Amino acid sequence: MTEAAASAPAGAPAESPNVLEARDVRRSFGGINAVQGATMSVRRGSITALIGPNGAGKTTFFNLITGFYKLDSGSVYFDGQAIGGLPSYKIARLGMVRTFQITKALSRMPVIDNMLLAAPDQPGESLFGAVFRPLATREREREITEQAHELLASFNLDKKANDYAGTLSGGQRKLLELARALMAQPRFLLLDEPMAGINPTLGARLLEHMQRLRREEGVTFLFVEHDMDVVMSHSDHVVVMAEGRVISEGTPDEVRADRKVVDAYLGGELDDVSEGGE
Amino acid sequence: MEEVAERRGARPLAFLGDSQRRARILTFAAFALILLVLIVFEGLHDVLQTSINGLSLGAIYALGAVGLTLVYGILKLVNFAQGDMLAFGGYIAYLANVTWGLPFAVAAILAMVFVALIGVVYERGLLGPMRERGAGILQLLLISIGVAFILRAIITFIWSTNFKQLDVNRTGTKEILGLSIGDTQLMVIVVGVSVLVAVGLLLRYTLLGKRMRALSDNLDLAETSGINTRQVILITWIFAGALAGLAGVMAGAITDLKPEYGFALLLPIFAAVVLGGIGDAFGALFGGLLLGVVIELSTLVIDPKWKVTIGFAVLILVLIIRPQGLLGKARTV
Amino acid sequence: MDTLVLGISTSGFNLSFWVGVGVIAGIYAIVALGLQLNVGFTGMDNFGMAGFMAVGAYTMAILTVDHDISFWLSLPLSMLVTMGFGLLVGLPSLRLRSDYFAIATIASAELIRLVAQNAQGLTGGNQGIFCSDDFSRCYDDAWVKVSDTINGWFVDLGMSDPPSALPLLVVAWIIAILLTVALVRIQSTPWGRVLRAVREDEDAARALGKNTVGYKLQSLVIASAIAALAGWLLALNLATIHPTDYEPIVTFFGYSVLVLGGLANYWGVPLGAIFFWVLVEGTRTLEIFESESQQVALRLFVAGAVLILVMVFRPQGAFGKREEMMLGD
Repeated sequence: MTEAAASAPAGAPAESPNVLEARDVRRSFGGINAVQGATMSVRRGSITALIGPNGAGKTTFFNLITGFYKLDSGSVYFDGQAIGGLPSYKIARLGMVRTFQITKALSRMPVIDNMLLAAPDQPGESLFGAVFRPLATREREREITEQAHELLASFNLDKKANDYAGTLSGGQRKLLELARALMAQPRFLLLDEPMAGINPTLGARLLEHMQRLRREEGVTFLFVEHDMDVVMSHSDHVVVMAEGRVISEGTPDEVRADRKVVDAYLGGELDDVSEGGE
Repeated sequence: MEEVAERRGARPLAFLGDSQRRARILTFAAFALILLVLIVFEGLHDVLQTSINGLSLGAIYALGAVGLTLVYGILKLVNFAQGDMLAFGGYIAYLANVTWGLPFAVAAILAMVFVALIGVVYERGLLGPMRERGAGILQLLLISIGVAFILRAIITFIWSTNFKQLDVNRTGTKEILGLSIGDTQLMVIVVGVSVLVAVGLLLRYTLLGKRMRALSDNLDLAETSGINTRQVILITWIFAGALAGLAGVMAGAITDLKPEYGFALLLPIFAAVVLGGIGDAFGALFGGLLLGVVIELSTLVIDPKWKVTIGFAVLILVLIIRPQGLLGKARTV
Repeated sequence: MDTLVLGISTSGFNLSFWVGVGVIAGIYAIVALGLQLNVGFTGMDNFGMAGFMAVGAYTMAILTVDHDISFWLSLPLSMLVTMGFGLLVGLPSLRLRSDYFAIATIASAELIRLVAQNAQGLTGGNQGIFCSDDFSRCYDDAWVKVSDTINGWFVDLGMSDPPSALPLLVVAWIIAILLTVALVRIQSTPWGRVLRAVREDEDAARALGKNTVGYKLQSLVIASAIAALAGWLLALNLATIHPTDYEPIVTFFGYSVLVLGGLANYWGVPLGAIFFWVLVEGTRTLEIFESESQQVALRLFVAGAVLILVMVFRPQGAFGKREEMMLGD
């Protein structure tokens, strides 16, 4: 606490090169320290990978910076704005959107409704707007429906638009979740194991999408991934966590060469490094 | 070093241990304080006398609560039928005790056996198959309400809506240390507490208890580690049913029987369960006793007509302040 | 006072009996519409409807009788008060997991009922609020006038001696149908879409920038306003307000109606209500049993059997989509 309080900066400069800065983030559950002082940053426009052995605290860290868990201490800045302690939905509205390790398709809603839900600035989402601003609502609905169909088409999901999301395959759900996150027009996307449980073809397409979005829309990515091949070939910055701390940071090559990283994995679970392209 | 200091700064009373231990200690401390204040203002005799009334009520709550919480722990089902199962026990005892003229103890045992049987049929006939079909929480909850209705319908059909009384001595009292204790009341406390202690020991020290806890922690894991989960679930229902039956008989012994009396006990039993941390048998035991005593003690300060509301107020307060319970072990909510 | 007590069953068709059944069905249709909004479309297992109904009915009567506020003004005022209670119950309990929320709401409803039962000064306690001999505690004078006028129309239309509950039947069902239409329409807006998302997965909705607690609160407050509507109608139907009219069983019957009609389907609700009450009350016209107790038992049995059978054999209800029940959880 002392450290966090002392280091509270007068707000990181707005034009900082970093889209995300997390300082000394801590959280414990029932006496177990899940994240014990993680400090890291994500450069704007980068694809940053977050790796680490099982139980390193990656998902907890995700939950902490996106407001899904409360911080015990530490601070988080998104584009220079302090977001530690903000509720998750407000963080999402700022343009920092996440996906989940276990996909959360809204099963009993059609695919298209999953997409429309994510679109910002729909006046009809407030009860007042829904009742008293039907025209503005309809107009916005038209815009976002078009947008949603385009996005679905680019993910090869357009034929499924009117099916219940619960009828999609696991891989399709992953794609839907990504497409849905994009509907929210994020500046910063956080993906928790986007490749888990999908076949390599879909996985490759997902990676292409990431690259294209970074290139064309300037979206920044932070993603948790176990597949080292993917991490090494598709990210330009890698952050390594172990036992609730950030133990190494750098380019894929630097991290690969870092003795600490190898030790952490050997001390943790071997499969994580070796599972490779499975 | 610094880390310890930091956490202490962030969380008051950290020296009492983890948050669950802290909640438990604070609850007992608060209770002790209330007792002390009451003793000072109302006198030791009144407080003790009222506490005894509270203990008999609390023993009934605890009997019902332990069954409810065991079932919840394993199946994650809030069994709304528990109250009416309890009432069924009371009426079976009435049948045996009054209609057939059998001794009260025999009637109580018959009631326990019968309600345990209801539990078995309920599980094997309805809940088990529904779980296998992947029924959701709401589906099972509504089934339990349906079962509650059916049980109450059968009670009402056979025994009518008129009051019924078990053949127990309600007027006899004993004087112990200047306190007068009704014979029935004493019986309820003695039987209730000894049965609860026996169940507690069984859960803690036997293989069965260990298995029940394993299922309660993680049903799937228990299954893959070779425990016969079907059997353990069934035994849990037998326990829950027998305890509910006994609770019904005990409640029937100190009040009258009417078809709704089981359902009326359900919410205080929920309160006891939540107080103890849902799924935690020991928590439910203490939660029941504590709630009974608190409810009766409240009559020293407020009009007794409000005492029933105390149970609900406690339930709501605990749900708001600390839904994982005040007495049991930690559980995520 | 003309109290329509169900249970006067004679052989053959008895118009006023069936009108009475229709009134009850209309009231429960309204209760279950509120439940549909919460349970079917927001995923909140609200078990406190009876409590909100009590707040609506008691507030209406207390304002009219004790504070000389006109009956008509008391309606919106009591609705506001009930919405306040919805907020009060919802704020602390919405964070809870669904089964805890169920317990919290049923406990709140019982707390409300017990307060009504014991706060004699305010609510008449166990006496309830009714028209005494000096007519000093009559809350429904204004309604009785309207009711007589409406019945006058029926007489004009050539109906000899229309049942006294007929106007209430008409009003209850107009409200139920209008409410159904309104809810269907509001559900099809983006606002309704967010509610469904909250039902499906709160975390996902929050990750997409939706203030899920706010939506749940809105859903609960609207449902409590709907409960107030049902509460007045019940008070007008019985011509008394008594704590025992607002026991948890009222909410449970509401759930029976809800699941019969099917989850996530507003139009199923009025149909479910008719079906349920014709079933429950119709069985007594068969005159299988004589004693009052056995009649009560039969009603409970039918209600219980409905819940169990629907949940076991047709969890989506009569008119719900199968996917609505099966794709969830």
